[in-house]
Amino acid sequence: MLYSKVKSFSAVTNFSIVLLTFLFLYTPIVVLFIFSFNSKAFPAPWDSFTLYWYHELFQSTELWLSFKNSLIVATLSTLLSLTMGMLLIFFRTSGGNIHKFLPMFYGTLVIPETVLAVSLLAFFSLFSIPLGLPTIVASHTVLGLGFVIPVVYTRYLELDPKLQEASLILGASPTQTFFRITLPLLRPALLATGLLIFIISFDDFILTYFCSGTAFQTLSIYLFTTIRSGISPIVNALSVFLLALTSLLVMCFFSPKIRTRIF
Amino acid sequence: MEETVITSLPRRKRFSLGSLFTKKDIPFAIGCPALVWHSLFFYLPLLIMILSSVFDLSESGSFQGFTLKHFLAVQNVAHFRIIFKSIGIAFLTAILCFVIAFPCAYFLAFKGGRYKTLLLFFLIVPFWTNFLLHVCAWFFVLERNGFLNNLLLSLNLIGEPIHFLNSFFAIILMMVYHYLLFMILPIYSSLEKFNLFLFEASSDLGATKLQTFKRILLPLTLPAIRLGFLLVYIPAFGEFVIPELMGGDKAYYAGNVVSQYVLGNYTAPLGAAFTLMGACILMVSIGLLLWIFKRISKSLGGLSV
Amino acid sequence: MTKNKDTLRSIKLVNLSKSIGEASVINQVNLHIPSGEFFALLGPSGCGKTTLLRLIAGFENANSGKIYLGNTDITDLPPHKRSVNIVFQNYALFPHLNVFDNVAYSLVVQKKGKEEIEKRVLKILKAFHIEEHIFKFPAQLSGGQQQRVALARAIINEPDVLLLDEPLAALDFKLREKMLIELIELQDKLKTTFIYVTHDQFEALTLADHMAIMNHAGDIEQIGTPKEIYEFPISSFVAKFVGTTNILQGTLHNLDAEPFMETPNLGKFHIDIPHKKAWMYEGCDMSMSIRPEKIFISKKPVQNFSNTLRGIVSSIVYHGRSTQYNLLLQDQTKLQVFEQNEEHFPQETIDYDDEVYLYWQKENVVLLEK
Repeated sequence: MLYSKVKSFSAVTNFSIVLLTFLFLYTPIVVLFIFSFNSKAFPAPWDSFTLYWYHELFQSTELWLSFKNSLIVATLSTLLSLTMGMLLIFFRTSGGNIHKFLPMFYGTLVIPETVLAVSLLAFFSLFSIPLGLPTIVASHTVLGLGFVIPVVYTRYLELDPKLQEASLILGASPTQTFFRITLPLLRPALLATGLLIFIISFDDFILTYFCSGTAFQTLSIYLFTTIRSGISPIVNALSVFLLALTSLLVMCFFSPKIRTRIF
Repeated sequence: MEETVITSLPRRKRFSLGSLFTKKDIPFAIGCPALVWHSLFFYLPLLIMILSSVFDLSESGSFQGFTLKHFLAVQNVAHFRIIFKSIGIAFLTAILCFVIAFPCAYFLAFKGGRYKTLLLFFLIVPFWTNFLLHVCAWFFVLERNGFLNNLLLSLNLIGEPIHFLNSFFAIILMMVYHYLLFMILPIYSSLEKFNLFLFEASSDLGATKLQTFKRILLPLTLPAIRLGFLLVYIPAFGEFVIPELMGGDKAYYAGNVVSQYVLGNYTAPLGAAFTLMGACILMVSIGLLLWIFKRISKSLGGLSV
Repeated sequence: MTKNKDTLRSIKLVNLSKSIGEASVINQVNLHIPSGEFFALLGPSGCGKTTLLRLIAGFENANSGKIYLGNTDITDLPPHKRSVNIVFQNYALFPHLNVFDNVAYSLVVQKKGKEEIEKRVLKILKAFHIEEHIFKFPAQLSGGQQQRVALARAIINEPDVLLLDEPLAALDFKLREKMLIELIELQDKLKTTFIYVTHDQFEALTLADHMAIMNHAGDIEQIGTPKEIYEFPISSFVAKFVGTTNILQGTLHNLDAEPFMETPNLGKFHIDIPHKKAWMYEGCDMSMSIRPEKIFISKKPVQNFSNTLRGIVSSIVYHGRSTQYNLLLQDQTKLQVFEQNEEHFPQETIDYDDEVYLYWQKENVVLLEK
């Protein structure tokens, strides 16, 4: 009797913790969402419904410029990281051996981003490399590699080596094997990692803050300077917009139909 | 042998480990840009930073020689206090994340059923928004004239608005919010792979639910918990944006010190020296943490972490 | 790779050695497998037979020695340039390709025309009775179906040699028996050289034209037809590994007149020496191998047999076609006898703890060096 009481008690506490967590996670977002339609600027209480801020959002050139910059950086970093990861795997399938160097890529997980940012800044200033788009992309790619290699390469090592051997013995050269067998089998891992790197790069602040200089501004930097000078509901509108965008992307990505086509 | 050899085909080129050490080996360099990139943009900068902490710079910023004065300069009580404050806050964040994340991951993995993936999706969605937008969002909620205060005032639960922001509470709140997912994901992934038959076997052999938890669940998920802990603890140590935005001027942590030094004029070597010192202390604390985890796993018996 | 059937399809291994780290897996192996044969390589697990197969395929490089396919030295040739295909134990079907694409793979990488590929794939799928699964994926097929797809994939581009690495290990008994027959018929039709690796002696004895036995050290102990290997093993390892046997030990006497083997406790046994071997000399140590089916068992003494023993039945195992008797001899040696169950109602029934007589003819025994 007591046992079942204890059992249900722990189940209830468990459930309530989860509920509170969701509440915790979504409260600011929901609030942001609602007040993005408020006609009076923050911090005034609710006045009336308006789409004014959304209108303002799409007018703000500075914001969209930084948004575009963030997209460019994220895309370039993702592509670079994935390509280098694939080249590494290709090298391996052609008979190379880099097993001893693998632990090298786990370094980014152990170092706080601040330390990395400081080091890169020191590096860039020592060689008098001007800060801007190339330096940001370079630094984000380092982060990206720190994910691609641990995730994709280890996934590659988990593949049945007999599949590649079968391909070889049936007459496919190592290059053909790479493109027909290895790559398709790694596609889910590549896509998932690519998405992860894209998001991390898009959201990144610390590295960008140190390595972007004054000329080039990404979304994160723009928001940082905006917060300091006071938030306008345009930011609300922006966050709602971004949230909708990412949710849409992710839902597409995870929907069963598209999933079977990609995977 | 009676038959004569008609053809002898060229030997396939095999890369031996020996050829890897000469960077002049062109095919290697072409095939491994990842290694080159990482060495160039990760290890080399780290090395440079470590070296720059012993550079002596003159007033105008030119290189004069090597010195240890920067290390001496950063070794004062104030700096150490800041470092230990950062360690404390990182540790607190990790603990809080664990306390929240474990029940959530447990619920998701075992009670989720068909909606498991859907719930996980909804859990992850908030993290896909830009980090600074999170800050904006919480600002909104916690400000003096913000949502929460207005709500509490209108419900007559408080007489005056509470200063949520610019406090330690706000910093911790934001830190946990930011890092929660890093703790949930590894634990969830580890719990999800669980074979439910283990539970059945355990209760079959007469263990209570608490015993099952302690003897089976905890040891097997300990590696994942450790991973989650490190994924939160290490970045949290270097965090400076959150304290700056949520903590006001009083909040001054390791990351803030670093950013101030490094971005200042000619104080870069100080920043490097401080970073190194902080990193060393961090490494020691990580070693301690790992040791604690090892002790926990030993006391639980069975598998070593 | 020429598909000309006049090309010799033999495999010749000359002084092949391979070690992994310090340990030598195979040492100075010499083997000649004639063109168009069904050859079996039999040995215990871990003896190096799979390594040998992988060397022939090209997945491993030998430390020394040479491999010839016909007259061509293929030792340094990469796997995709050898006219050799392999069927793996776990089939290794490409999970992201359907049956059609799996089977067509070798033709596609050779850039053959679309129509030709379609024609050949359909033809082979029909021959293997799996055409209805043509668009299914490997995960949707049963073990037997997967195995056929693997086989079809391996022979569609007409290799000179087909390697098979215990391909039937994952199948159930009835299916395995069926596949054995199909494999024999297939090889007969194709005239491709089949090299079949297994640790199951039953498979090897059934399938092979010739077979080789490998021991734990990676050496080839004996090469011959299944019958030669079974009836005339040249070492006690082969005698014990292929089928079951009884080994009695003693010393050799009267080499040139009427030879016999003297044992410490069981007396003398008459033996035949058709060809004197190098190791034989007066008084030397020797072993005698007698297959259980070559020994007769009876409760009553019988005349006209060169050798007799007495023993007590310790256990009886019923095998359907035959009954196995485990016996204990005077000196606590164990002996096994198989008796075919010829009649429903035999004249004599033998029970536990019965004292019985055991008989065999001296010609049905194999003499082995100790």
